[in-house]
Formats: sequence, structure tokens, C-alpha cells
Amino acid sequence: CAGEENWVDSRTIYVGHREPPPGAEAYIPQRFPDNRIVSSKYTFWNFIPKNLFEQFRRIANFYFLIIFLVQLIIDTPTSPVTSGLPLLFVITVTAIKQGYEDWLRHKADNAMNQCPVHFIQHGKLVRKQSRKLRVGDIVMVKEDETFPCDLIFLSSSRGDGTCFVTTASLDGESSHKTYYAVQDTKSFHNEQEIDALHATIECEQPQPDLYKFVGRINVYHDRNEPTARPLGSENLLLRGATLKNTEKIFGVAIYTGMETKMALNYQAKSQKRSAVEKSMNVFLIVYLCILISKALINTVLKYVWQSEPFRDEPWYNQKTEPERKRNLFLQAFTDFLAFMVLFNYIIPVSMYVTVEMQKFLGSYFLTWDEEMFDEDTGEGPLVNTSDLNEELGQIEYVFTDKTGTLTENNMEFVECCIEGHVYVPHVICNGQILHNCTGIDMIDSSPGGSGKEREELFFRALCLCHTVQVKDDDSVDGLKKKQFSRRSCIYISSSPDEVALVEGIQRLGYTYLRLKDNFMEILNRENNLEKFELLEVLSFDSVRRRMSVIVKSSTGDIFLFCKGADSSIFPRVKEGKIDQIRSRVERNAVEGLRTLCVAYKKLTAEEYSNAQKLLQNAKLALQDREKKLAEVYEKIERDFILLGATAVEDRLQEKAADTIEALQKAGIKVWVLTGDKMETAAATCYACKLFRRNTQILELTTKKIEEQSLHDVLFDLSKTVLRHNGSLTRDTFSGLSTDMQDYGLIIDGAALSLIMKPRQDGSSANYRELFLEICRNCSAVLCCRMAPLQKAQIVKLIKLSKEHPITLAIGDGANDVSMILEAHVGIGIIGKEGRQAARNSDYAIPKFKHLKKMLLVHGHFYYVRISELVQYFFYK
Amino acid sequence: FQIDYTGTEPSSPCNKCLNVSWDSTPPCTCTINFTLEHSFESNVFMYYGLSNFYQNHRRYVKSRDDSQLNGDNGSLLNPSKECEPYRTNEDKPIAPCGAIANSMFNDTLELYRIDNDTRTPITLIKKGIAWWTDKNVKFRNPTGDGNNLTALFQGTTKPVNWPKPVYMLDSEPDNNGFINEDFIVWMRTAALPTFRKLYRLIERKNNLQPTLQAGKYSLDIAYNYPVHSFDGRKRMILSTISWMGGKNPFLGIAYITVGSICFFLGVVLLIIHHKYGNRNTSADIPN
Repeated sequence: CAGEENWVDSRTIYVGHREPPPGAEAYIPQRFPDNRIVSSKYTFWNFIPKNLFEQFRRIANFYFLIIFLVQLIIDTPTSPVTSGLPLLFVITVTAIKQGYEDWLRHKADNAMNQCPVHFIQHGKLVRKQSRKLRVGDIVMVKEDETFPCDLIFLSSSRGDGTCFVTTASLDGESSHKTYYAVQDTKSFHNEQEIDALHATIECEQPQPDLYKFVGRINVYHDRNEPTARPLGSENLLLRGATLKNTEKIFGVAIYTGMETKMALNYQAKSQKRSAVEKSMNVFLIVYLCILISKALINTVLKYVWQSEPFRDEPWYNQKTEPERKRNLFLQAFTDFLAFMVLFNYIIPVSMYVTVEMQKFLGSYFLTWDEEMFDEDTGEGPLVNTSDLNEELGQIEYVFTDKTGTLTENNMEFVECCIEGHVYVPHVICNGQILHNCTGIDMIDSSPGGSGKEREELFFRALCLCHTVQVKDDDSVDGLKKKQFSRRSCIYISSSPDEVALVEGIQRLGYTYLRLKDNFMEILNRENNLEKFELLEVLSFDSVRRRMSVIVKSSTGDIFLFCKGADSSIFPRVKEGKIDQIRSRVERNAVEGLRTLCVAYKKLTAEEYSNAQKLLQNAKLALQDREKKLAEVYEKIERDFILLGATAVEDRLQEKAADTIEALQKAGIKVWVLTGDKMETAAATCYACKLFRRNTQILELTTKKIEEQSLHDVLFDLSKTVLRHNGSLTRDTFSGLSTDMQDYGLIIDGAALSLIMKPRQDGSSANYRELFLEICRNCSAVLCCRMAPLQKAQIVKLIKLSKEHPITLAIGDGANDVSMILEAHVGIGIIGKEGRQAARNSDYAIPKFKHLKKMLLVHGHFYYVRISELVQYFFYK
Repeated sequence: FQIDYTGTEPSSPCNKCLNVSWDSTPPCTCTINFTLEHSFESNVFMYYGLSNFYQNHRRYVKSRDDSQLNGDNGSLLNPSKECEPYRTNEDKPIAPCGAIANSMFNDTLELYRIDNDTRTPITLIKKGIAWWTDKNVKFRNPTGDGNNLTALFQGTTKPVNWPKPVYMLDSEPDNNGFINEDFIVWMRTAALPTFRKLYRLIERKNNLQPTLQAGKYSLDIAYNYPVHSFDGRKRMILSTISWMGGKNPFLGIAYITVGSICFFLGVVLLIIHHKYGNRNTSADIPN
């Protein structure tokens, strides 16, 4: 293996604890932790010291502790009890609260560590507690069970050696993902066979990246040389994921306990502090300075006053002997401390407790609100932290995700366009009356002979080019049965678009039946079964923005079908009615539809074998596998013939437009950050009234920057915006603000990275300032084509701009987590894409529409309450 | 009405007594003549006033033993540590101990009305000048067999500066020892360095005559209390009380000053608010 030499940190696992045949390799026993998960912070013994230490790290607690100690040590005007008791109360209450929380964590850990796991010992199935699991054990997992540790997938009850898994609790994707068993072991189906397996696994030491895994399995057959197989992340079943649609699987534990990828990813959220708390701390520091200077001044004044002996020691008030002898500096210092203690009431001790109690109880107002309860999902809002309640009332910027947040993430196939002819599937348009329908909805003239052929190819392409799984219930082979239950069969896929497409094509007459023994079966318009052999899947990734399949038809022709975003398909097309399709795609995009282009290429047997070789090489690489695969994909996916395009509608969330309008009226700036393309995102923005008819759109996109330099574009935009601003002030004075001009800004990821990029000549800050200036003057901003990290970058940019506005980020998917964590307040939607966002957020709500009441009613009240409380305390 | 009798000015009759010490016998006496312009109609309160005397000093305020003053026999012979350095004298416990008691005011003031060159003494009542609770609850003589205070205070010594022990402060038994009203009044420390304390009462005799007619009076002072060492002043004050009590301008002045400042600031803030506070509160989208 190429990467052998720098592969130092590896571990070797003996499957089933069997030593390899003698002579193969020296047996070095490695020590691995057991499968115990510890998420609790304290144990019974270290609770008191550790908790006290944590508590006294808070500046206020520490301050009062110091005051208390000073009172104990020196002769002070007030008794130590007066500051000791409240401090004791505060510490005890907090300790009890934290102790209770930790006790709950202990309980959860115990439940997790004691749940039964089946694993195989000497050919028999044994039940054990999960925490007794060790590296190298062979584990059996049944359907709907979660994996107890990170496993290498050996075999499954499905014949093809695959299983389906949802990783909703890991990365938030609720879709089913396919994992593949190791080729050499997938034929073992019962305990005895598995137990007979003799193999070692070499793999890297645990690391937190969920999607990366490199390893190698050596399988020993009798006395032969072992066969080595590469292992990748598609063989690794992660702890926390759930097995679906598969009766049972066998796997060997490789990472256990705290070394599992889930445990390594478990991180405490960084503590967010509310602006009120920050300003409270500033107040306290100011008060502390006042206190210290007051004590200093008083000490100085005391000694000035005492400098005359008849004042220091008049006849009626004489000092004792020890007092006279005391060191002057020590005396002055004790006097200073005494003054500190005397004036320490300037800092209110009870404020912290009261504020905390108020926030904690106040957070229940949110959960009790019946209007925030969503009947569809039966879930109400969740409050993960009560520290930020009042921030909700001060939000100035709202950053929202589009898919799943503004829109429902419920895709519906709307139309397809083949060679410029538009087909609209209707519910009534099944195979029989399809032609009538197309006749009505056709825009161009009827297709000719070649068009007909292309049309057929297009539908087949859509039927074949996907990674959709069919959830087959009872029917085994009965084709007839399938025909009856044609509409009811359930498609499962990692992308909702694909499901929408396959279902849409089903309505157009082509039904995808299943994948059986690498043969894809489709039912065509004439109810004939067509079989295609699936040769390769060039799976989808967000960089390429396309996917391809290579299939072999029953006639022996090899086709490569590709579908993907228009921007990634058009440059690779060499023939087809590009212009017509492009115009249609753009039109659809403006209407807020998601578009995909479909292309194909016919491969000769020779071309195919070349491609296959390249793919195989890349797949076996231990190092940089992804990079190599991407290179190969790049080589294979070219010279397409364009077939057509599809359009899928992403429906808006209930009352999304209403909510956005209300937020804008409240003076909150709403920014949409999405990974989608500009046209689609802009369409959604129009639909949800973020942009209005009279909004003047300013574009800051890659296309425009190519035309002019970034510098010019930015200056032009700022000029437009600022001129308008000047006229606005005049308008408001003359009372003519009704025909006020709105500006909406559209920026894409590439342009943003240009702006953010630090430049050598040091003028980067200039661009950033200019960009912020433009943004400030726009009522709505749309950022499209954003990577998750860029979303966080934008939030950070605004957060750190000179006004220091309070920001809120709302999203539902794993890709929004970074921005949710970055913003002052992060809100998760308890949505379709799993609960990752909701778990990482500060507040979780069931629907976007609830944001309105949350910010405008609850947030406002919280802010009023807390500010009055704090002001009252300082007044006191 | 008040007279300063410290005697710092050379012309003052009390100037000769300025540097008296505690134990000068016989006491230095001086007489100050004064004229009342207006007559006092109702009961008159006679105060002595001291200036620049820090009864509020922390060391001074603490320097007393309340349980001793409350008649506790244990504390009588073993006073609290707080009394240092006025706790013991020549190995005998001091009763009453502490700096406050030690520095008790001991000038004697007498008032005469001069009518056609005849001096008529004015009756000064020395009882009823202390608080009821102080006299009956807080201050008690030590208990024991019999009522002989001399025996009860056996084993203690007088405060250093006092000319005579505590059980000889007065001839009347219910105004002697710890429950001597002059003593009780002194023990209630003042909050400010310039203070006055009730010394005597002058009661109105009949309804026909004012308590003190306008005219000439003379004040005889037995000058014992030294204040010159700390730049202090001594005064004698005659005053009546209205239905609101005696005259104590400090709080009134303080309240009025703070009130005026608040009012002034209020006006300033109101002006600022009116001039600069026109924030746009309409629901328009700010740009």
C-alpha cells in the first residue's frame, strides 16, 4: 500500500479475538477502552471540589468569596455572616441544580451502558450489557436497533450484502443511507459461519470525522495467504445510527466507548452570553472600579485627616498599645480592605441569583404557549438555554436557511422539458392519456421521430439515474402484485428531489420497480418490464453537483446517464438543444422551482472497461480516495448529449411570507442564506415577500464581477444605495415616505469569498466595510451558493461589524449548525432533516411561523422584564 | 438661642479657663452675661453643644460594654475587650468602662435671671431628659443585696478622667449610678462631630408668665471639660420645641439639597429629551 509508511497510528483488531495463523504477524495485544460512555461531568467523590471550582470561576462568585474572606480575616465594620450567608445560598442552589442535571446524565449513561447487546461467542448468540463490549467482538444488530459501537459491517440478512441506516442522530440526515458489507464476508449468514471467520483488521486510530475512515481487512482462508480488502466509510457503521429495512447484520467492533466517532464528536456547546449579561458585567466592572477608587480615596482621606495628632488620637479616644505599634502600611492596607467591605453593597450580591431564577422560570412561558405548539408534529418549542431569553427581543438581523426553514422541503415534481417540449404530469395523466396532456401543455410543435426516441431515453434516464431504494413490503416476486400496488410502493432516498422525480416519472408512465441483483427493473408505458444492468454509480456530491449511473440495457448497449445542476451539466454537453432548455430552466428557476438537467452518453464496451478500471483503482486507494475518485469522475463525465430538464417545486412553509413581512415591519433585517442557486433562491424570496415587486435588486455575483472589477461593482452599488438614502431622509421630512425605494441585495458564495479574502495591499478591510455599508442600506439580502462555513462567516461578519448588532440564525439541517452556533441566538427547526440543528440550537421551534411570536411577543416581554429587573437592582 | 463659652477669644470671660485639665480643684468658673431679646413662652430645653468632637469615630463608638451598663454583674467586674484601653485601671475594672463613658461631659451650667441687679436662679430640672427605654431598659445598676450602690460597685474603679465614681454622680438614688440621666444622654453617641445634647429642662411655672422673659441673664459655668486640645467649641443652647419636636436642620438641609439637585437634573434631562429624543417610533422599515 502506498500510504503504508506514514500510516503509523494504526490499530490491529483480531476479529472474534482469534489470533492470526502463526507466522503471519506478531501478536501485539493492544489495550482498548471498554464500551462505556461517560457524558457526566462529576462522580460522587469529585462533585464537591470540582463543582466549587467551576462555580468560583464565575467572576461574581469569586468576588463575593474574596469579600467574605476579607471579612473573616480583618477587623471589619460588618460581620462576615452578612456576605457569607447569601454566598452560601447561591452556591448551594447552583450546586443542587448542577448535581441534579449530572445525576440525570448518570442515569442516561447507565441506561445506555446497560442496554443489552447480542454478540457472538463460540458460535453462539450471547446477550450482554453494552458496556462489556470489547474491541474485536462480533455483534449482531437487529432492525431498528442502534449500533452499540463503531462496527465494521461484515454481513447482513439482505442477500446483496447491504443494509440501510439512518444517521439522524449523528449528522441530522434522516434519509436512509446504504452501507456495504465486506465482500469476502457477506456470505456468512448465521452465527457459526461468522464465528469461523478468521481475519484481522487494520485501521486508523479513532478520529472524529464522521465521513472518513480508512482501513484494511485481512481474511485468512485456511492456510493460504490472507486476502486484503480495503475498508472505507461505507463499511463502517457508526454508533448512534439506526439500522433500517434490514432484518439483522453482523459486524465487528473496532471503536468502542469514548473512542467511537459519536463520542469524539460530542462536544459541549460553547457558552453563549446574552448582551444584557455582558452589559451587566460591564456595569459590575465599572462599579468595581468605583468601589476600589472609593476605598482608595477614603483611605487616603483617612490618613490626611488623621495627620493631625489631636484628630488621630484625641484625649477622649485613645489607641491601645498594639494599635499604636502596628505597621503603618499594613494598617493602611487593612483600612483599604475595610473600606472595600464597607462599600461592597454597591455590587448587589443577590442580583445574579434573582436574574438566573427569573430567566429559568421565564423560559417556561415559551414552552407553555399554546400558540407555539404544532399540532402536526405534536411538538412545542424547546428551550435549551434560558440565558438568552432577553436576546430574543433585541434581534436586529435574522439569518434564515431556505430549504426546510422557509420552504417545507417537500418536493413535488412539476414539469419536465424534453428538447424544448414541456410535459406537465397531472394526477389524471397516467400512461394512457399522457399524450393528450402533453399535447395541451406542449409549447413547441409536436416532436418528430428522433424526438420520440429522445423522450423515451429521457424517461428511462430519470428512472435509472438515481439512488432511490424501494421499500418492498410483502410482495416478493409477484410482478402482477406490483402492478396493482404500483402507486403505493414507497421510495426511499437520501435526497427528496430524487423521490419527487421518480414519483413524477411514475405518473408519466414509467415506474421504477426495484434493484435486484444489480439489475434495475422498470415498467414502461406499455406495462412491459425492462431490465437494465447497473454497472456503476458515480454518486452525488455537492462539489460536482451531479450524479451518474452506467447501465447496460437488455440489448447490450451501455449508457451513461447523468443528472445534475444546470451549471455542472451545460459545460459538459456537446450536443442537444441547449439554448431552448437553458431558457426553460432559467424560467423555471425564476418561478422558484428546483431544476435539474438530464444528459446521457453512449459508451462503447471499450470505453466502459477503461472507465471501470479507473474507478476500481481509485476506489481501492487507501489515501486521498475522494480526491482520486473525483478526478476519475471528471474524466468519465464529459461529452454528454443533453436530453432535457426537470423542475421540482419546493413548497413554502405555512405563513412564511407573513412571518417575514412582520419581522421586516418590526425593523428586523432578514437575510436568506442558502446553498441553492441564485434564481431558485431569488424566486423563493419573492414568494415569501422578502423581495417585493418594487424592490430594486442589486446583484453582486460572480457574473457581474467578471464583467467589471469587484472594486467598481462595490462602488457602483454603494453609490446607488447611498444616493437613495439621502433622498429618503428628505422624503421623510416632507412626509412622502410612501414611495420609498427598497433595495435587495443578492450575493453569491464566490463573490463573498472574494470580498472576505484578505489581500496583500491591506485594502481588504475597505471592501468589507463597503460591503457592510451596502448591506446596511438594503432591506433584504439574499446569499446563495453558500457553503455551511460561509454561512457562519457571514453571521460573524455582521456580528463583529461596528454596531455590534444582535443576530439570530434559524435553520433545520446539519448544514446550518455552524451558523446556529455562531449567531448570538441560534434557533433550530424541529424538522425533516433530523434534529441536529434543534439539538445544537438555543431554542427549537416546530415551524418557521412561530418565530414571529417568539421574537415579537415573548422576546419583547423577556427584554422588558429583565431590563426592569436589572435596573431595579442597580437602583436598589 | 445659643452662647459659645469656649473662651478662645481673649475678651471672653472664660478665656482664663481655656487650658483647664480634668482634675483641677477647685474648678475654674466663669460667668457670661447675655440678653434674651424675645421671651420663651413654653417649656425651654437647655442643651450643651460640642463641636469638632468625633463621637462617631469607630474606635470610640465601639468602646463601651452594653451588658455592663445593663447591670450584668459578670461584665461589671470583667468588662468587654472593646473597652480597651479604658478597660482597667491599676488592675481594677473600670465601671463604666470605655472611651465614651470616660469622656463624659462634666461642665456644670447654672442660669440666673438678672432683674435690677438681683440674680434669681432659674430652676433647672435634671430628670426627664433621657429616653424612657434607655433609662428603664438599657441602663440598669448592678443587682445585689440591698440598695447601697457603693457596695454594689465594690471592686471596680472610676473612669480615669472622672473626678468621682459612678455611684456618686447624684444624690438621688433613682438618678445615680448607671441610670444617671446625664450619663445616659452622653452615652447615646452623636452622628456628627458638631452635636448638642439635652442638659436641663426649664418648665413653665404658670400660665401668666412666659418661661423665660426677655431680659438679662447670666450663665455660671464650672469649666471642667477641655476642648481646646482638639479645636473644639462648647456652647449652651436654649430652645423650645414645636409640635414637630426640636430643631434639627441637618436632615432638612440634606433633603432639600438632594431634592434640588434631582429637580435640576430632571429639568436638564427633560430638555435633552425634548431636543434630541425624537426617535422615529413608527413601524416603517428603517433603512
